[in-house]
Amino acid sequence: MTRHSLSLLLRNEPGALARIVVLFSSRGVDVESLSLGPAEPHGGHSALSRLDVVVGLQPGRTAAQLVKQLGRIVDVKSVVDRTHDEALELGA
Amino acid sequence: MDTTGAGALVKALEDVGCEVIFGMPGGAILPAYDPLLDSVKIRHVLVRHEQGAGHAAQGYAQATGRVGVCMATSGPGATNLVTPLADAYMDSVPIVAITGQVSRGVIGTDAFQEADIRSITLPITKHSYQVHDPADIPRVIAEAFALAASGRPGPVLVDLPKDVLAAATTYTPPKLTTPSRPVLPPVQLRNAAQLIGSSKRPVFYVGGGVIRSGAAQELRELAERTGIPVVTTLMARGAFPDSHRLHLGMPGMHGTVPAVAALQRADLLIAVGTRFDDRVTGSLPDFAPHAAVVHADIDPAEISKNRKADVGIVGDCRDVLAALSAVVTGTADLTEWWHYLGGLRATYPLGYDWPPDGALAPQYVVERLSTLAGPEAIYTAGVGQHQMWAAQYVKYERPGSFINSGGAGTMGFAVPAAMGAQTGAPDRTVWAIDGDGCFQMTNQELATCAAEGIPIKVAIINNGNLGMVRQWQTLFYDGRYSNTGLGTHQRHPDFVKLADALGCVGLRCTTQSEVDGTILEAMEVRDRPVVVDFVVGQDAQVWPMVAAGTGNDEIMAARGIRPLFDEEE
Repeated sequence: MTRHSLSLLLRNEPGALARIVVLFSSRGVDVESLSLGPAEPHGGHSALSRLDVVVGLQPGRTAAQLVKQLGRIVDVKSVVDRTHDEALELGA
Repeated sequence: MDTTGAGALVKALEDVGCEVIFGMPGGAILPAYDPLLDSVKIRHVLVRHEQGAGHAAQGYAQATGRVGVCMATSGPGATNLVTPLADAYMDSVPIVAITGQVSRGVIGTDAFQEADIRSITLPITKHSYQVHDPADIPRVIAEAFALAASGRPGPVLVDLPKDVLAAATTYTPPKLTTPSRPVLPPVQLRNAAQLIGSSKRPVFYVGGGVIRSGAAQELRELAERTGIPVVTTLMARGAFPDSHRLHLGMPGMHGTVPAVAALQRADLLIAVGTRFDDRVTGSLPDFAPHAAVVHADIDPAEISKNRKADVGIVGDCRDVLAALSAVVTGTADLTEWWHYLGGLRATYPLGYDWPPDGALAPQYVVERLSTLAGPEAIYTAGVGQHQMWAAQYVKYERPGSFINSGGAGTMGFAVPAAMGAQTGAPDRTVWAIDGDGCFQMTNQELATCAAEGIPIKVAIINNGNLGMVRQWQTLFYDGRYSNTGLGTHQRHPDFVKLADALGCVGLRCTTQSEVDGTILEAMEVRDRPVVVDFVVGQDAQVWPMVAAGTGNDEIMAARGIRPLFDEEE
C-alpha cells in the first residue's frame, strides 16, 4: 500500500462529502485520516470547503488515477496531490 | 407565486425539451402527477414496474440521442430504479431519474415509504440533487439534463420531497447552457498522427463513446483515408458498418477471430471512446502485448486506467477523429498486415453447427431476423447467449441500432429498452431479442406496450435454460447443471398464452422451415406488440470464446479449435 496526501476544494453542498467518501470505498481506497473545514476561515457560511485526506492505495493503483476520478465529481472544484510537498516539509 | 413546485417541475421539463416520461405515481410523487395531466408537450407512459421505467428511459435515450426521463415515488418506487441507474452509469447513458421523497419535516424519521435514495445511488449516479426550495426546481432540472448529456453521459437523480412539490412558488425559466467541449491538445494529436503514420500493424479499437458522441461519420472518413482495420466493441456495434471491407467485427470474449487477432498482433491500438473492459482485454498482461496505445476519451479518468496509454487525448470522440483526419498525412504500407488479417478472416468466419438432435439453431433465427428486419430496424437484447448472438449475427450498419446492457449485464433489459426505443422512434421496427430467462424478469411491460400502443416485437430465443450459465457449466463444471433449467420447454410458462394474456400477439416457431414465415407474420402486425417463442436447442454454445481470466491468445474459434496465430505469421 502506498500513502498519498490529497487536498480538495469542494462546494459546500449536501452530499458532497458523502460522494467523495463513497468513491473511496467503492474504488478500494483506504482512508488514514480526513479533515474537513470551511475554505474561507473568517466565519459565516462558506461556499467552498477544504478536504485534506491521507489515503492508502492498493498495489497497481495510482494517485493520478484517483485524482482524475475525484475530479469527475461535480461538487469537487480542485484536487491536488500534496504527497511530495509533505515529504519536502518533513525534510525527507 | 404563480405555481407550485410540481407545476414548476412540469414546466421546467417542458422547457428543457422533455417529450416523454416513463414512470409510475405513488404517494410522495403524487403532486407532480396533477399538473402532468394538463401537459400537452409531455407524454407519460405508465409502466408496470419502475425498473421498466428506468430501462425504457435508457432505450429512449439510445434510440434518439436525447436525455431519457423516468419518474417514481419514494421508497420502493425509487429503489426499483437502482438497477437501471447502475446500468446507465456503466454504459454512459444520459437519463434523469425524478423521485418523490417524504416531506422535509419527516426526512430521517423512517417515515412511510422513506428511503435515502440519494445515498443509495451515490456510486451509480453522475450527480444527484435533493431539492429543498421549490424555487430551485427549474434550475436543478436544467442542470440535471445538462449534466446527464454533457461530457461522458450518465444518470442524474433529482429527489423531490412531497411538501416541496406542493409548496407555492414563482416559476423562473431555467437558463439553458451549451456545454463546452474540451480543447484538444495539439502535441498529443501530433504524436498520435505520427504513430498512426509510422505503425505497420495499426487497428482502430472503437467503443461506445463513438456512438454517444455521434462520431460514426468521422470514424468512417479517417478509417477509409488510412485503410486501417476497425474493430467495434459490444457497445459500439453499428458505429462502423458491418458490411465495410475494413471492419473485422467485435473483439473480446466472444469476438471474431480476426478482431481478437488484430488487437493481439497490433503494433498500435487507436482506442477511441472505449475503456479497455475486461471482456475485451481478457488477462491484461497478455492483452495486445506488442502494441503502442493511443487512447482518446472524453473522460480523463479512463485514460491509462487499465492499460497505460502512450498518447492520451482527452476530448470528444467526434472532435478527436476529425482533428486526426486533418493531421494524419499517410500510413505505412499495410499490405502485409491485411494479408495476415485477410487470411484469418477467410479461415475463421463466424459460424455454427446445427444441433444434432434436429432442434432449431438459435444463431439461424437471429441471422434470419437480421436479414428480414434489416439494418433500419432497432434491435435490443438482454444478457446472455442471445445477447452475444444478437451482437454476432445481426448485421449493423448504423449507430443506435443495437441497444443492450454491456457493462452492467442486466438481465431483463431487452423488453423495457425496446419499449423506450419504440417510443422515441415510432417509425422504426423494434425487435427485442431476448432469452427465456431474461424475458421472465420484465415482460410485465408488454402490458404497458399493449395499453399504450407501443408495438414492439419480441423474439424469445427459448433454449429452456439460463443458457450462458449452462454453457459455463458444460465447459468448466463438468456438465453439472446446477439450477439452470427453467422449464420453459415444458411451457412453464407457455409464452404464447402469456403473450395473449398481456394483450399481444403470440406466435411459436420450432423448425427451420417455419422461421421466415413466422418472422414475416410478426412483421405484419402493426397495432399490437408481438411475441415469438422460438424454441431452440439447449446445447447451442456461443463461439468463439476466450475463457474468463485467460489471455486473448487462448481464443477458441469453436470448442477444441484454437487458431495458432503465431504459426500463421
